[in-house]
Amino acid sequence: MAARDSLPAATRSICPHCGIGLDAQLIDRGGRVILRRECPEHGSIEALAYGDTARWFDAQRYERPGGAPVLRQTATDRGCPSDCGICPEHAQHTCLGIIEVNTGCNLDCPVCFADSGTGHQPDGYSLTLAQVESMLDAFVAAEGQPEAVQLSGGEPSIHPEILDMLGAAKARGIPLVMLNTNGIRLARDPRFAPALAALGIHVYLQFDGFDDATHLAIRGRRLQEIKQRALDRCAAAGVGVSLAAAVERDINEHELGAIVRFGVEHPAVNGVFFQPVTHTGRHPAFDPLDRLTNVEVIRALCEQLPEWFREDDFVAVPCCSPTCRSATYALYDGEDLVPLPRLVDIDRYLGFVTNRAVPDLDVAEALSGLFSASAAGGTERTAGRLECVACGVGLPDELRQVAARGFMIVAQDFQDEWTLDVGKLRKCCVGEIVPDGRIIPFCAYNAAGYRAQIRAELGAVKT
Amino acid sequence: MTRSLPDLSPLDLETDPKGCCARLYESDAVRWLLDGELHPGGDRLTHRLAGLAGIERGQRVLDIACGSGATALLLARELECEVVGVDLGTRAIEQAVAAASAAALEGRVRFVVGDAEELRFADAGFDVALSECSLCTFPDKRRAIAEMTRVVRPAGTVAIADVTADLNALPAQLRSAAARVACVADARSADEYASLLRDAGWENVAIETHDDDLQGMVDRVEARLRVARMLAPPGEQRDRAAEALLLARMALDAIVRGDLGYALIAARRTGC
Repeated sequence: MAARDSLPAATRSICPHCGIGLDAQLIDRGGRVILRRECPEHGSIEALAYGDTARWFDAQRYERPGGAPVLRQTATDRGCPSDCGICPEHAQHTCLGIIEVNTGCNLDCPVCFADSGTGHQPDGYSLTLAQVESMLDAFVAAEGQPEAVQLSGGEPSIHPEILDMLGAAKARGIPLVMLNTNGIRLARDPRFAPALAALGIHVYLQFDGFDDATHLAIRGRRLQEIKQRALDRCAAAGVGVSLAAAVERDINEHELGAIVRFGVEHPAVNGVFFQPVTHTGRHPAFDPLDRLTNVEVIRALCEQLPEWFREDDFVAVPCCSPTCRSATYALYDGEDLVPLPRLVDIDRYLGFVTNRAVPDLDVAEALSGLFSASAAGGTERTAGRLECVACGVGLPDELRQVAARGFMIVAQDFQDEWTLDVGKLRKCCVGEIVPDGRIIPFCAYNAAGYRAQIRAELGAVKT
Repeated sequence: MTRSLPDLSPLDLETDPKGCCARLYESDAVRWLLDGELHPGGDRLTHRLAGLAGIERGQRVLDIACGSGATALLLARELECEVVGVDLGTRAIEQAVAAASAAALEGRVRFVVGDAEELRFADAGFDVALSECSLCTFPDKRRAIAEMTRVVRPAGTVAIADVTADLNALPAQLRSAAARVACVADARSADEYASLLRDAGWENVAIETHDDDLQGMVDRVEARLRVARMLAPPGEQRDRAAEALLLARMALDAIVRGDLGYALIAARRTGC
């Protein structure tokens, strides 16, 4: 994908009402970037693409040419986004593979892009271990050496074979294997965290805030005690955790700073992922022109923790489209917190449009691994890369203990039917692995009809 | 390679004058804090200063308070200038000599230990006298400028890059002896520097402000001081880091208010 360097910029999108493909434009309006298109049947459709035009331009400098996968899976036929798996036009390999092992869940959250739940939906499914193994094999075939995979759902921890599935991912040599969970089984089953520890699994724990109102609005239940117990069990077992917060306008925007403060203090937690709510599946009513993007999330965090963060501490992650994900690493010693970009001129290493020589290739490679969708805080690889960066820029060895934790903070804006921008999608590096072995870019899976298709296919065949 | 947190005791800035300043800037602690960029804007603003002053290929340049010689070497390498660097710090001069030798530029650059207020050079021997981020630290600025003026030929140039300050608006801590060596306490406004130059007979004084570069530099120092405070053993070392951090934060506030900044100043004489 060529870097976008001006607005308006032409792209393609879809109609959120009828799903047909449409020519679209990114435009600047009042200092924000809007995605605009016209459906012959449903008229003018607009959604906020990025909350700050200047920051949008700034992020484009991080548009790195994508890396090719080993294997492409489908042919170009109807055009993006209708030819997924990874088709010849896709501009990036898959940094993070996702396998949704089931649709069943032990919660019925009002917010769920996967539209999962406790009821026996007519189209629900639960994959077998053999299916998951063949999907992992397909991922390895496509990627060569995959970096990261996440087992998700539904609620994957209630799948009776989940530990075998996680073990199968580890057995294929994938360095980062994550379990995306609401934490209920972790809290209730004292054997679960130790079993995850034995396998070397990183937990991606839904964690939206602390207020009752937040829990009720997003999860439909007060889960604070369950989250706390799940985390304490992870800490006791030595399982690393990233907190994943679904963030919605007027619900929990005000809790972002408190989540980070809680995270840096808790021994199990090595990172926080803020994800603006994707308005697909189940979600509250929303205004597509007043939704949250990474800009609003980062701004709110900085307003809530001004002594620790400011907006330019967050770096546009270059493996995907640079407005999809912004990240930073924090050095925290129990008192003060210093964001890594204050200590390293990241732009000199990762700003791809600037015509400057990279000062140190090892540091550049380590930073590129750190600012990637395949990275998580607290892992050995993250610690090693931070050490390489620290050494390369002359930071003292004593910093190793502080940096080893590698606390990562991410804002990740996934797309939905309203915000789908084919220009971004072609660079997507988070892939939904489906049972026939295709890897479907995550946002296409959610927004371009693939989720419904796969669910219909799988739900129809009772395994 | 192991690299430990440097000894922070040089950050004890209570005892003053020039000698201390030179020692401070050649200490490992300050080099580490500045991360190799010894003045705001680094090479980029040095290029800009050379442009503003109209330094020409092959000219004879005196670099006053040259530190470990980065600017002198840059001018020798890129503009084939013949440069003499002078600095009070003996260790800095040793490093500069070694760097010149490593860059095979000994033929064009020479480094000597010396005092800016008493330059041991003949009158009118240079085309340009250059001072980056050092005039602010000299106790007697008139005298330093008089010396620069004396050693430059009648139709020559002075090129100054320096911290600028509205001293009356700065908090007391930033006007203390401690802050003098950090280029703040005895800085002047760009207009004051300009009038000192005019008083010394210079005309066509051009000023360019680059406050953002100073902010970027102090910001990086602030972050490294926080790291130092995290890592230093409790007691004196950590106190040094904490005190310096306080000054850095006051400086950042002052920059934001517009009371502290950075400027490039060039002046010429049409000859007499």
